[in-house]
Amino acid sequence: MHADLLPVALANYVALSSVIFFIGVAGVVLRRNPLIMLMSIELMWNAANLLFLAFARAWLNNAGHIFAFLVITVAAAEAAIGLAIVVIVFRSRANVDVDEIALMKG
Amino acid sequence: MPNFITHQDWLAITPLLIAGGGALIVLLVDLLWPKHSPRAVSLAIGIGVLLAAGAFAATTYGRSYNAFNGGFMLGGFAVVFQEIIVLSAILSLSLFGTFGRDDRMAGITALLLWSTTGAMLMAGAANLMTIFLGLELLSLALYCLCGVADRAASQESALKYLILSSTASGFLLFGMALLFGATGSVTLASLMLPGLAANPLYWMGGGFFLVGIAFKLSLMPFHVWSPDVYEGAPLPVTAFMSVVTKAGTLAVFARFAYALPAGGKLLLPFFVIAGVSMIGGNLAMLAQTDLKRLLAYSGVAQAGYMVAALAGASALGMRYAIYYLAAYMFMNLGAFAIVAVLSGEREEGAQIAAFRGLGQRRPWLAAAMSFFLLALAGFPPTAGFLGKILILAATVNAGYAWLAALLIAGTAISLYAYFKVLRLMYDPHDQPAPGPRTSAPLAYAGAALCAAFVIIMTFYPLTPSNVLPLVK
Repeated sequence: MHADLLPVALANYVALSSVIFFIGVAGVVLRRNPLIMLMSIELMWNAANLLFLAFARAWLNNAGHIFAFLVITVAAAEAAIGLAIVVIVFRSRANVDVDEIALMKG
Repeated sequence: MPNFITHQDWLAITPLLIAGGGALIVLLVDLLWPKHSPRAVSLAIGIGVLLAAGAFAATTYGRSYNAFNGGFMLGGFAVVFQEIIVLSAILSLSLFGTFGRDDRMAGITALLLWSTTGAMLMAGAANLMTIFLGLELLSLALYCLCGVADRAASQESALKYLILSSTASGFLLFGMALLFGATGSVTLASLMLPGLAANPLYWMGGGFFLVGIAFKLSLMPFHVWSPDVYEGAPLPVTAFMSVVTKAGTLAVFARFAYALPAGGKLLLPFFVIAGVSMIGGNLAMLAQTDLKRLLAYSGVAQAGYMVAALAGASALGMRYAIYYLAAYMFMNLGAFAIVAVLSGEREEGAQIAAFRGLGQRRPWLAAAMSFFLLALAGFPPTAGFLGKILILAATVNAGYAWLAALLIAGTAISLYAYFKVLRLMYDPHDQPAPGPRTSAPLAYAGAALCAAFVIIMTFYPLTPSNVLPLVK
């Protein structure tokens, strides 16, 4: 590892992305609006992206950069499909709230 | 190391290109046809494309090659997983005879083909990038497939699956990032590096990665999505999802588990939750009134059995896991085919109450359903029984006797749940409930094929030693 090349110590990147990741997890668990939940999921994915980029620099390995681009692409596709599903589900409802989506109780 | 893509690399992914490109053909035919292409045309192209992909994959049997600088592995168990995935996609597609709107059939077929492509990619994926790509290709198409029916429950299941599965992908991805940080490489082979055990990034990354995998396999504490999604999704999609996601994820888990030095302490919690799934999944089956939910909880337990076979990371355990996966595919898809025959578009046949008196009304269907349920429970003359015996042998050999004990206890519980359905079908005092009569020749053929294979596999075990080369 070439951690000495980084202007900021690697541990800071790990700490920051962990914080962002768990903000995302909290958002999915606590918020009831599917749009906010989708945004929180993006937060989780992007926390991983940040880590990939930091480690790519630390290891001088391009694979991390490529992985981050891959994740961004997949996240875009996922957001498109996610928004389409939210529109279909809530077209006939006044409020956007997952607590009303309870035909089936798991 | 050459950095360009060779002829060999393209050959390795040709089955995937056939399946993925076939989806485009289905859509193109739909576009060029006046109005929409008929259901039979879309289904025929879809099944033809899958047969071609499966046949081409079979020609790579026994060859060993690391395509794309180790991103996609040919050889070992990859081709067997690919055949299982293709076969279950064909069987699920054949159930679409009576489901879904005619004008949506081309889109449904194309999505199912893309989903299959993703699972086939997972079967051969050997680095973190291809694992993620395959998993997302499989999942993104499945979100859409869950919501294709016009029922509110179907759309609800799509939303639930989307949010919960994307969250799990987040865990998986974060784990991958940490593993990349620990090893400095995205290849699974780099997990063999000495000195990793001293690195906290490795333990955290492995933990997050396994949480994501456990979710996709629907193991017990992470299974909450599966009953709801199975119940809401259209029946053929449920059938497809129940086998193909398990097959793809099991292949990824196997590659990960076998890359760790000597099994690894990292996996122990994973085997514990596999044990929890065997007991919990079978207990939860007892309370179900919907057959799709019952099969969802059955799937939770069955996934536990398959993971248990891999405990100890022995070469024999891998063979037995694949044998059980193949047996599970035929038993499970056979049961789904019977439900499809009994169900109309509103899926009234999926209620367990719809099976009341089936033994008098449609004796052949009832006999076939009993056969599949007995096989799922692991009764002697079926492949389910042999599979469980093999898994017991593998776990005991690997020194995980407690897993074997849990497997036996779970099987005992599951017998009661399956027998509840059997009793309902053959109770002489029950008046037969009038059910819908649907004609679905493809579904009948699928059920017959599954039944045949469940029997054949008992007497001629497909995987141990005669099909699968020992995995290194």
